[in-house]
Amino acid sequence: MDIAFKGEHLLQGQIGQFFIILSFGSALLSFLSYYFSTTDDAGKADSSWQNIGRWAFYANVLSIIGIGVCLFNIIYNHYFEYHYVWAYTSRSLPTRYIISAFWNGQEGGFLLWLFWEALLGLFLIFKAGTWERPVMTVVALSQVVLASMVLGVEIFGMKLGSSPFLLLRDSMEGPIFSRPDYLSFIKDGQGMVPSLQNYWMIIHPPTLFLGFASIVVPFAYSVAGLWQKRYQEWIAPAIPYALFGCMILGTGVVMGSFWAYESLNFGGFWAWDPVENASIFPWLTLVGAVHVLVVYKNTGHSYFTATMLTMISFVLVWYSSFLNRSGILGETSVHSFTDLGMFWQLVTGVVIFLAIMVYLLVKHFKTMPITKKDEETYSREFWMFVGSVFLGLSCFHLIVVTSVPVWNAIFHLNIAPPADAARMKHYNVVQSSFVVLITILTAVAQFLKYKRTDVRRFAITTGVYLFFAAVVTALIAFATGVNKMHFVYILAMWGSVYSVTANGKMLADAFKGKIKLAGAAVAHIGFALMLVGALIAAGTSDVISINNTGEGFTADFAKENNPRENILVYRNQPLKMGDYMVTYLGDSISAPEHFYKVNYKKVDAAGKVAEDFTLWPKVQVNKGSLASSPDTKHYLFHDLYTHITMTNSISESEEPGAEKDGTQADEDDEKSYDAPIPHEVAIGDTINFREGFMVLKKLNKGVKVQNIPLKDNDISVGAQLEIVSHGKTYTAEPIYLIKDGGVYDFSKKVADAGLKLRFSKIIPEKNKVEITVLQQKESAKKYIVMRAITFPYINFFWGGSIIMVIGFILSIFRRKNEMKVVPVAVKQGATKGVGKRQPVSLK
Amino acid sequence: MKKSAILGIVVIAVAIAVIISTYSNTSTYGSFKDARQTTSELHVVGKLNKQKDLFYDPTKDANYFSFYMKDNKGAECKVIFTGTKPEDFERSEQIVLTGKMIGNEFHASHILMKCPSKYTQDKLETQEYKANKQASL
Repeated sequence: MDIAFKGEHLLQGQIGQFFIILSFGSALLSFLSYYFSTTDDAGKADSSWQNIGRWAFYANVLSIIGIGVCLFNIIYNHYFEYHYVWAYTSRSLPTRYIISAFWNGQEGGFLLWLFWEALLGLFLIFKAGTWERPVMTVVALSQVVLASMVLGVEIFGMKLGSSPFLLLRDSMEGPIFSRPDYLSFIKDGQGMVPSLQNYWMIIHPPTLFLGFASIVVPFAYSVAGLWQKRYQEWIAPAIPYALFGCMILGTGVVMGSFWAYESLNFGGFWAWDPVENASIFPWLTLVGAVHVLVVYKNTGHSYFTATMLTMISFVLVWYSSFLNRSGILGETSVHSFTDLGMFWQLVTGVVIFLAIMVYLLVKHFKTMPITKKDEETYSREFWMFVGSVFLGLSCFHLIVVTSVPVWNAIFHLNIAPPADAARMKHYNVVQSSFVVLITILTAVAQFLKYKRTDVRRFAITTGVYLFFAAVVTALIAFATGVNKMHFVYILAMWGSVYSVTANGKMLADAFKGKIKLAGAAVAHIGFALMLVGALIAAGTSDVISINNTGEGFTADFAKENNPRENILVYRNQPLKMGDYMVTYLGDSISAPEHFYKVNYKKVDAAGKVAEDFTLWPKVQVNKGSLASSPDTKHYLFHDLYTHITMTNSISESEEPGAEKDGTQADEDDEKSYDAPIPHEVAIGDTINFREGFMVLKKLNKGVKVQNIPLKDNDISVGAQLEIVSHGKTYTAEPIYLIKDGGVYDFSKKVADAGLKLRFSKIIPEKNKVEITVLQQKESAKKYIVMRAITFPYINFFWGGSIIMVIGFILSIFRRKNEMKVVPVAVKQGATKGVGKRQPVSLK
Repeated sequence: MKKSAILGIVVIAVAIAVIISTYSNTSTYGSFKDARQTTSELHVVGKLNKQKDLFYDPTKDANYFSFYMKDNKGAECKVIFTGTKPEDFERSEQIVLTGKMIGNEFHASHILMKCPSKYTQDKLETQEYKANKQASL
């Protein structure tokens, strides 16, 4: 039965869905046409298949842009009849996050990937020359597989892909959807998960997906090289693309860790979460691939390894997508992504590219240019090769551990990943062992020359630098406390310092003339500095908000368990924490964000304030749930990180701005105070209370009470009190009033001191007055529970990553310039000058 | 022997070492009953018992949170977590605890929870159903 639903905007969705089908169809057409242009039209300069392939690819690019425009339209206009809009946005979502709503859902991630891959395809059409036909065959195939992930159509009873244009009423059950006017009840969407409402969410996913997308290019070149039997020629043009992939993917991963560090409450920048691990699988193998590709280009060794590492990187991109999107990590990851019911489709995606890799490697194994000659032990290429193999092994380790749920599914096991503390230790120790070898090799290989090196000179230089690095490492280790850690970390530190010094020498040499070596040296220095930063920051990070005052706390308990890491801070009540006095000063609300003002003071031995600063950690309120983000004080050599883990000064149902500091107009608020205590005092007397004292300064006769006109017989007296609490001075003036024979008192609250004061009686015979003091109950006092951590030398990590990216950029320029020499080789080995574009056009 | 052969052996050896060390470091999924029988840490999957009280009072102890969880076999146990109450805890659909039994209480060092808002998007909120009812009166 068809119901005429009111108020739906179906056209945008239908156009969007049309573009999705078009993008799939055009990619398929482009793939087939490029395939036939490579096989049937091989050798023909003018290929009509190639022309069709190109035009189909242009259509693919346009349809992907069309999808984006339609999706933007429905998100921007809040069309909640679409599931994607309803699930990930709300009316109150700030406009700047409309962009991140694009890729909030999995469908959006695929779209982003499709978009970048389409742009890279366009670039290749214009730049790839004789490689265009086979390379674009692979890129178009990848577009076909990706587009199938967002198709959202049913074929033979099987759901293929998930479309962002799915309607809400089609995606879930509910009696409401049988009403024609159901939309009038759906006023707002689910909103965005608060942790995603962050500027890093706008930049991190596009970078990461560009990294993922770019790995298709070296893969396509290696496939094309084998397929066309142009075994040697694909390497030179593939290297710059592989470097680009390493650079962008690396940047994306570091951005993710910066996001985790700055705005999420992970308590650090890296947690070995399965999703984090999955994002660096392809990076590790691709970095290995780049090195072995260079080895092959220079010496002709290691062809098989170079090809295999290039190909496996792309297969691993798909494998990590499978891990993240299939729901298989359900019980092991905090990144709990939705399972869109595409488990087997994702498996198929992995299998397609794995099958292509295995088929080509096996088929061409015998004809590959594999040298029988053994490599020189004292040559750079041999140790570069060894280093790459260890990069591959480090990736292998991450895959084995991260895939525990996959092993469980395949072999019907029931093993769990290493439990919490053991997990960090396991990853850190094993990966640090690889770091030792890899960093030492990045240095050793730099001292060696391609093909043959003078052994004696090499041994002396290496030895001197190793010794120098050991001295520096010892200094750093004792200065930072790394020496107290597992010996593997110290070795890893040694390797990293060695790598910095050795590559520093290379860089100095590069400035003296061998400028083309600068890229590698800079990238290695960056990588090693990153590791130095990571080792110190992660290894010696220190929770300073230690609290051993809790319930049931005994010395035995402290020994067995982690020291307790959260402390309770009452408002305006300074608390000693480590070297600091912390004070929670107050709140400020800027919907949907609620900031907490936390002041830090450091007092030196002489009693002088050495440091005084305020941090603003925040809590976001979103649809009845709270999410907090830390704030960090950055120093040159360490960071101080503060994070709210609990608070009572915000309620989950609270409308933003509903509460103003301490001015609740609640008459019946005595419940939140302890029992009233009356004090009889004369002027000048002091009243002590739990958190300070107050002095009755004077009595003011005839004070005006607002809105109450006083007659001649009426008596009004104000008691001027000066209150000192936690080093702060406040004043208050409760009023006593006799009007028309009735007695009234007007209490005054001092919210910051947690006091309510009443002028309750005048006792003329004693010449005293009675002041009743109500003190806020401990539990009603505003407080925050917070956690504070210091991360020493974290700037090495960020600085190192930036230097590494610069190194990659320099290397890309170097390798790109090298391509200009390539055409000579191309002409010798080319299969009869395919295509009308000659490699000369590369210039 | 060729160097590539030596390297091959090293690679295989490291790979085997990696697998063994991984396997020996993994823990197990179990129930509260299993946890009573072992002193090592394990993972227990279950659901929060929403009928019983969740206790967290930071004014008494900012690092003590207790609740009752039913494991997948239906056994219930008091759980103590040394830390603050995780955000949105009441709304969790499934909980994965890492920890061990001390006495009759399970001491969790790590809590991983799945919330409906993140895990299964396909539920309309009750509020919306209410709106529907009112309108049809």
